[in-house]
Amino acid sequence: MVIEVREKIKTNIRRNLDQKYFKRLLGIIARKPVLYAYGSTFSSISDRYLNIFSIRSIRDTYNGKNPVGFGSLFLPYELFYATGITPFLPEVMAGFTAGLGIADQTLKKASSSWYSQDLCTFHRSASGAIEMDLFPDPSFMVCTNLACDAAQKSFYHYAATYGIEKNYCLIDVPYNNNPRSIEYLAGQLKRLAENIEGAAGKKIDMDRFARIIELSNEFRKWALKVNDIRKKLLDYPPNFNGLNFILPFHGLIGTEEAVKLYKNVYLELSGLLSRQKEDPDADKNPPKRILWMHLKPYYKNEIFETIDSGNCKVVFEEINNVYWPRLDPKRPFESLALKMLSHPLTGKASDRTAALGRMADDYNIDGAVLFTHWGCRQSNGSARIIKDYFKERGIPVLVLDGDCVDKSNSAAGQIKTRLQGYMEILNSK
Amino acid sequence: MYTCGIDIGSVSTEAVILENSNGKDDAKIYSYIISPTGANSKIAAEKALEKACFQSGLDRSGIDAIVATGYGRINIPFADKNITEISCHARGAISAFAGTRTVIDIGGQDSKVIKLEDGNPIDFLMNDKCAAGTGRFLEVMARALEIDLESFTDIFLSTDGHVDISSTCTVFAESEIVSLIGQGVDKNKIIRGLIYSIVSKITSMVERIGLEEPVCMTGGVAKNLGVVRALEEKLNVKINIPEEPQITGALGAAYLALNL
Repeated sequence: MVIEVREKIKTNIRRNLDQKYFKRLLGIIARKPVLYAYGSTFSSISDRYLNIFSIRSIRDTYNGKNPVGFGSLFLPYELFYATGITPFLPEVMAGFTAGLGIADQTLKKASSSWYSQDLCTFHRSASGAIEMDLFPDPSFMVCTNLACDAAQKSFYHYAATYGIEKNYCLIDVPYNNNPRSIEYLAGQLKRLAENIEGAAGKKIDMDRFARIIELSNEFRKWALKVNDIRKKLLDYPPNFNGLNFILPFHGLIGTEEAVKLYKNVYLELSGLLSRQKEDPDADKNPPKRILWMHLKPYYKNEIFETIDSGNCKVVFEEINNVYWPRLDPKRPFESLALKMLSHPLTGKASDRTAALGRMADDYNIDGAVLFTHWGCRQSNGSARIIKDYFKERGIPVLVLDGDCVDKSNSAAGQIKTRLQGYMEILNSK
Repeated sequence: MYTCGIDIGSVSTEAVILENSNGKDDAKIYSYIISPTGANSKIAAEKALEKACFQSGLDRSGIDAIVATGYGRINIPFADKNITEISCHARGAISAFAGTRTVIDIGGQDSKVIKLEDGNPIDFLMNDKCAAGTGRFLEVMARALEIDLESFTDIFLSTDGHVDISSTCTVFAESEIVSLIGQGVDKNKIIRGLIYSIVSKITSMVERIGLEEPVCMTGGVAKNLGVVRALEEKLNVKINIPEEPQITGALGAAYLALNL
């Protein structure tokens, strides 16, 4: 019954691909009693809060109360919240197009508008959605060259489509993490704040900024606690998937909602860990422990059910790594610059493998799966390096080709065979 | 004890019944059959089992364990377990040539390279989702050339030189060879070019995973000695071919059924 309601909502969205319909639907679903009733249809506390806060944050981008800024994934959104701007992340929303089952239409639109088939489908699906006028109207557009090359070009094109090229900013993250880079990047973030002020007519409030930095630190604390619990936890809530937390992990940092979400995830997981510790059978036939690298398909798929049914478990995901140090509220721009520079995808591929190596140690992994999303040069380019790195440590790596957004570009049967073959190797050890 | 392995591939289904009277090391093939898969993989598996039983005079109830493998392995109701073709081809290759370190399997619509250590698979690669580098590629080209696929071996071994086929896509390669025929290019050189095209795809996979000898080739395409010789030439190794390479997956499945 519960799943039927959710499927009905998706079906209605597919039939009414129109921004006005989205606004009306979000206006109804995001009302507190309805939203909490909807949230209660999820069996775990983690999923409940994840869905409630995600819907609410998306509603805020459509309701016209605050100016909306589009941003790419790795930006410090604390800065948006400090200026009273509601961030909208087209790449994450492209993942939602897959989840809602509308990516075939957004991708088709992008294809008929001359977007190359070679372009990553996160950017292509977002392009199609913009061409179809499904996203809210932005006041400005910000992108960073951290990790992703396609984003810079795609976001500029998005800005051109909305006629706001003058309000497009590119944050250039230097290759090396050193004091000079911090100064250079902090200077850009200060200018970005000024540009946002100009484009959106919102003044940055430094007291508010300091509070948001504190909230960001609070989020970081709870995210670390969640990650710590996961080092031992095997008994997860049903349908829990760490790869679903990409919106709060990036786009909600600096909000009270993100803190509340991660605090609740921690409480739920710590309860399960206590139960696991008391279970005398918990250590019998333990599953093989897998580190998941990069992202996953966001359309309906059987990947994680296949893994669970093969006596294996994804115990951690690369994207949930808390890679940055505590932020200093007295030096917010410099702290956010350091946060961006600390990302393992900034700079050399060996920075990424070093970070993966720490995760491998922390989570005591038996294997690692790198999902190579079609068109994602920044991640796929390291596939060989990652495979060789783990090989030296005696950890087999499965490089799994697929597509996070376009299900027609992923062969479910081939993925299943590769996964099962890989798990047979892990289980034979 | 009798076990059965059934490999339900996209083109053909193979069933092998293994007889094992004195421990696992003493198992031997009791009967096997190769039949077309057709449109329904469950029916194909059922028929293959029936035929293998009939051929051996064994009653179906006399089979102690059945393992299904291949793309149609899921949801075979009478199978005790399904195991991927990766593990099954590895096991089958080991039963034919103990000590094998690399398995090259080229099937109807799929090719794979498996690396083994102490008889166990430790890594593998499968081809992309297109037909390039598979038996289907050769079948389509044989049809376009109006030449029997079986004669490819003799043509390869008796002809010098080849023309490069630049398209890896089966559909485009077909257009390319039609165009070459139109230009009056010797069909035999086109056939050698086609074989080198498939071999180029496979050698790239072998190099990616890292070649280790001894090498065993399995799958229906291993019956084409032209492909085998071209692979040996490009990889600079001797390749071992089982007596009936097409049943290697099913044979491996039957061996793995001994553990159930």
